[in-house]
Amino acid sequence: MSAIVSVRGAVKEYALGAVKVQALRGVDLEVGEGEFLSIAGPSGSGKTTLLNLIGCVDTATSGVVQVAGKDTASLSERQLTELRLNTIGFIFQSFNLVSVLSVLQNVELPLLLQRRFSGKERHDRVLDLLGRVGLADHAKHRPSELSGGQRQRVAIARALVTRPQIVLADEPTANLDSVTGENILALMRELNRTERTTFIFSTHDAKVMAHASAVVRIADGRVLGREAPAAAQAEGH
Amino acid sequence: MKWVLLSAAGALALGLFAWLWRVFGGTSRVDLLVAFRNLVQHRRRSAFLGGAIAAVTAFLVLLSGLSAGVRETMLRTATTLMTGHINVAGFYKVTEGMSAPVVADYEKVLAVVHEAVPEMRYAVARGRGYAKVVSDSGSMQLGINGIDVRAEPAFAEVVQLASGNLGDLAKPNTLLLFESQAKKLDVKVGDMLTLSAPTTRGINNTLDVRLIGIAHDLGLLSTWNCYMPAESLRELYRLNPGSTGAIQLLLRDDALPNTPAIMARLRKALEARGYRLLDPDPEPFFVKFDKVNREDWTGQKLDVTSWEDELSFFSWTLKALDGLSATLLAILLAIVVIGIMNTMWIAIRERTREIGTLRAIGMQREQVVRQFLLEALMLGLVATVAGVVLGAVAAAGLNAARIPVPIGAQIFLLSNHLFFAVHAGTLASAVAAITLVTGLAALYPSLRAAKLRPVSAMQHFG
Ligand SMILES: Nc1ncnc2c1ncn2[C@@H]1O[C@H](COP(=O)(O)OP(=O)(O)OP(=O)(O)O)[C@@H](O)[C@H]1O
Ligand SMILES: [Mg+2]
Repeated sequence: MSAIVSVRGAVKEYALGAVKVQALRGVDLEVGEGEFLSIAGPSGSGKTTLLNLIGCVDTATSGVVQVAGKDTASLSERQLTELRLNTIGFIFQSFNLVSVLSVLQNVELPLLLQRRFSGKERHDRVLDLLGRVGLADHAKHRPSELSGGQRQRVAIARALVTRPQIVLADEPTANLDSVTGENILALMRELNRTERTTFIFSTHDAKVMAHASAVVRIADGRVLGREAPAAAQAEGH
Repeated sequence: MKWVLLSAAGALALGLFAWLWRVFGGTSRVDLLVAFRNLVQHRRRSAFLGGAIAAVTAFLVLLSGLSAGVRETMLRTATTLMTGHINVAGFYKVTEGMSAPVVADYEKVLAVVHEAVPEMRYAVARGRGYAKVVSDSGSMQLGINGIDVRAEPAFAEVVQLASGNLGDLAKPNTLLLFESQAKKLDVKVGDMLTLSAPTTRGINNTLDVRLIGIAHDLGLLSTWNCYMPAESLRELYRLNPGSTGAIQLLLRDDALPNTPAIMARLRKALEARGYRLLDPDPEPFFVKFDKVNREDWTGQKLDVTSWEDELSFFSWTLKALDGLSATLLAILLAIVVIGIMNTMWIAIRERTREIGTLRAIGMQREQVVRQFLLEALMLGLVATVAGVVLGAVAAAGLNAARIPVPIGAQIFLLSNHLFFAVHAGTLASAVAAITLVTGLAALYPSLRAAKLRPVSAMQHFG
């Protein structure tokens, strides 16, 4: 299994006035292609910070972050944006859909930004994905007309529509009730299997971790270790 | 130096074009949709700002319509009463210190004019004089115009008679006065008056004339001009039959902007035929006598002037009007700019997380700029088009209402009712200009929005 994400000695400092907060204190992490990896840790441990570095929306104070074989420190803002567009899909804790666009338009948006596909190709892909997340009937709806779980499904469809190599999800179930959260996780797991997409998601919910193929525990800005979850073992992985 | 400036301007234009291309090049239907839907989403705010922009646009249309209306009325009235678009006037000196407004043998000059100015609609010859007009009860000094009223149909359109018959001005020894003059001289149509004036040789001559008409006042110009047949004016001044005071050229409308070039061409043509010319001097003819009298030449010199030269004593009215317009324009545009920038800041603060999200999922900075600019431009375009329609309708309504101008203002506006000249070109440029201002006002907030970091998508509140 080759590494699609490789973080070595990553340090992230935030300046809070005169005080410096070290959110990450030298993190090493390798993520293999096709993993369904959970990053677990208590609040303030640095999960979001780490995902931001991997997602190329933030830069490390020191250390190396490689995504899809590219050293992110060497890329320009424009190149980073392109990397995010073509290689990474994002699922946000609070869904972050564009409120004035329909479900279909929200999912289509990354494809429009790519400017690679014809209208028909885009349409086919969007409808296919909406079908797979179970929202084919809601294509014309606005996000405000959907439940939290449905919104997160739209967000998943949006994250996957470009067939990215990596999908990052920062506490994707934190704003959902536990049953809906379970369903969302199951959907992500299924797409991880069928599409061979690498998923990295953070959580501090043990039930959510149970879905992962591996769990990386962090605390206080450091990686404590990597383990296979009990559930995964039970499933025979 | 010229080339440096030119290439600098070229580079700037190229850079601007490249930037616009980068920002707007990939505009898709969804960009327009997002802009439109965001405007609709905040319809109260959009309506308020759009309404303000529309009101400002409408007001500016009216203001520029008024300014253009005054200019057009002034031009039309003045070119009927006392000047052509271009004039060829004569200064004739028998002795060095005595000049008279005479073009001798004007048919020959007219032939040169015809040849040199193909843009001419027609030309009229006007005798010029300055005489004492004496009635039974009073007298006043007036500028006298010798006119062939049958040859000037436009005259009857501008000069409206309160009493009498304009056609009678074709009869010899007749006179046409304006109301204020007739009132001062206490005369009515049919009364006899005496004109008294010095001839070119310095001897006083008099002529008895009959008042055939009294015209409605037309502002300042009608306070010191009156009209009599050209033939009678020659008799008063003992001039040769072939002489006149000035040839007034009326140009086609499309040639008016070229007036300076046409004047230069006409000057050359006249000089080529051996006519002597006065140096160009942008002043009305009646202030030039003093200057000419001090020069040491005798015989005839021609003077080529434009209507603007002859009306230069009016230019302050136009300048004041333009200055007022410019001030109001600046204030109103400042309000629009502040309104737009303020609204944009609010919108950007509200949509920080959305912008961060779009940046995170792969939207480039210039596309964020595009989103916000499109929103402002869309609002600006709709609002200015509405404003222009509103302004044009209001102008048409006010024109139809024929709102009277107070007497004091009439003197300068040369008209007794308000007139708004609104042209399609003005409307189009108002739309373009104010939409552009909207876009420029939105530019800085848009650039700042594009600078928002994608991590702001991860903020869960705000
Ligand atoms: N923009 C910031 N400025 C200053 N300090 C920050 C900033 N973002 C995070 N931190 C700090 O860095 C540390 C790690 O934060 P981070 O958000 O990565 O933790 P987390 O594991 O995601 O926590 P949670 O489970 O609450 O989301 C915390 O101490 C936090 O206060
Ligand atoms: Mg977090």
